[in-house]
Amino acid sequence: MLIQYIPTLYVLVLLPVVVGAMGYFLPRRIYQGVLLVFGLAMVGISAVVFYEVRVLGEVIEHVAGWGESVSISLRADELSAPLVLMTNVLFFAFFVFNSRAPYMDNTFQYLFMTLQCALLAMFLSGDLFNVYVVMEVGMLAVCILIMYKKEKQSFYDGMMYLMINFLAMAFMLLGLGYLYRITGVLDFIGMHDKIAQINDPRALVLPYSLIMTAIALKAALFPLFSWLPRAHGAPSAPSIISATLSGVQVKVGVYLLIRMQWVFSPAIDASVFFAVLGFVTAVVGFLLAVSQKDIKLILAYHTVSQVGLIVLGLNGGTPYAFWGGMYHIINHAMFKGLLFLTAGVIIDHYGTRNYAQIRGVFRRMPWIGIAGFAGVLGITGTPLFNGSISKYLIQNGLQGNLAEIGMFIVNLGTVLSFVKYSTMFFGKAPDHVKPIKDPYVNGVSMVIGFGCLAGGIFGAQAVQLFFGQSYNLGGALGAEKLTMFAITLALGIGLYFGVVTRIGGFLQRVRDNKVNFNQVSLLIAIFFAFLTAYLYLTV
Amino acid sequence: MQWIDSSHLSLGLFFVGLYGVISQRNVIKTIISINIMDAAAILFLITANLQPGSVPPIAGGDPSRMADPVPQALMITAIVIGVSVTAMCLALFIRMAHRYGSSDWEKIVHRVED
Repeated sequence: MLIQYIPTLYVLVLLPVVVGAMGYFLPRRIYQGVLLVFGLAMVGISAVVFYEVRVLGEVIEHVAGWGESVSISLRADELSAPLVLMTNVLFFAFFVFNSRAPYMDNTFQYLFMTLQCALLAMFLSGDLFNVYVVMEVGMLAVCILIMYKKEKQSFYDGMMYLMINFLAMAFMLLGLGYLYRITGVLDFIGMHDKIAQINDPRALVLPYSLIMTAIALKAALFPLFSWLPRAHGAPSAPSIISATLSGVQVKVGVYLLIRMQWVFSPAIDASVFFAVLGFVTAVVGFLLAVSQKDIKLILAYHTVSQVGLIVLGLNGGTPYAFWGGMYHIINHAMFKGLLFLTAGVIIDHYGTRNYAQIRGVFRRMPWIGIAGFAGVLGITGTPLFNGSISKYLIQNGLQGNLAEIGMFIVNLGTVLSFVKYSTMFFGKAPDHVKPIKDPYVNGVSMVIGFGCLAGGIFGAQAVQLFFGQSYNLGGALGAEKLTMFAITLALGIGLYFGVVTRIGGFLQRVRDNKVNFNQVSLLIAIFFAFLTAYLYLTV
Repeated sequence: MQWIDSSHLSLGLFFVGLYGVISQRNVIKTIISINIMDAAAILFLITANLQPGSVPPIAGGDPSRMADPVPQALMITAIVIGVSVTAMCLALFIRMAHRYGSSDWEKIVHRVED
């Protein structure tokens, strides 16, 4: 097939930077035309790769024909191929959404494509050092992109993001060195095979905890998430950047978490640790989300919570929970991307970020309102929408455990914070707000909104399509799902109006509580020390 | 003094850097501290599996005595990355210091407008 004749994976990784650099000096209109064709091509190529991986098994390409674990390799397997497809589809949708925005100049588009290249390379790379390099590239691109509008505290946000991630990457580099000294290879498969032959698993504790500290920071697990809301909710970040970061970039951390756990799996298994950590992250995330007033920050803290849920599912120990977590990665990319896009439009038109001052979105901008509300229904796990399917899978995978009660608490928290978020859709809009005329903005939002609905109605088929797992999901409108959701919704609304609206002073204090860079570094050091100690006690 | 080898040295340097990042409130000093950590990691990788008496992996030498060339090739990349990220940090620091009139993390965090 196609893959036998041209190195498709290399094309996939290199095309964004090559096209971006060559078209950089073209006039903006022509450049955008080129990018439109390019975006479609990327979606097409990744669909082909996805198809081949599903039908023929994993695709591996080595540079210059060197053998396995010697050469630099790119790999697409059943874990990375759906994520690559998701990345390309979302980048294309975001590009079309934003094509008329005033700040969308050539530099911005070039940086955006550099980010796309770095993300694809992270998913496809078969070698830990390459992952390290492209993570640094992606980090620089993200740092510039979140400061792009140069508003208010943008330089502080960019600086914090850069310094914290630079610090984490130093941990990663040292861990990589340790692993290289022990195994002598940097290739994921090669490391996995070598680790299986090592007699003393304690020798691997230090590299494991060094690498996992860096990855947990990238995935924004508790207590290392403080950089995320700053970066994703930054006022100077264009809304498509927030959507990309929350939708796709955080998932790189989750993906690497799965990958590195697999690499170390013959010697070290810390899935219980990460399951508990995922649960704590999910709870802390929604508690902080409920206390925010800024709608972008509500969404950003909620990303923390959802990532915790995904990590809980992936480490739940059953295939049900694992594939539920994987499906939730894709679902979260869709509805959180959509929520950030619509929130950006709403902020631009209302001129405020405070949820209490935004009212009547449904009346003034119906398309955005409907699409945004579809995102809310998706994230809260309303039956018929995609979130319900993945949450159902995770919940079933954890059945009979304490974790199932935990799952209910997390779900309740999601509903609680989105009751707060949804208040802005209703009521009467202020007069200065104008309706939206841009067809791309409305169109793309509606398409992603329908995607959320389709992912729920055809949930079983989607899981079958993406991951090749067939599960009986009890139908999109199963009685169990409906009752659970009704109970959660009623409790959520009751708690919101009964408790949350009455403790404004306490929430204000939570918002005022800021951490500086030294405290973040201290948290990283504590996390590293704790993980190391835990592993020495259990391994 | 057998235990003073390059791996322990670089591990020590790494934690010196980590201490600096935690304890120093001056922005420049934290940037220097992260650089120390980065340099420690690079030192660790270059000296990983190094045999005494080995020669640099340059064409013309005796292949059986050559040091492992892979870490050296990788670390050139890591050094370049470290330099560019440091440059970016310093450039951002200048903008931030002009805006908030301080180079103290604790003072800056209270002057940031939200």
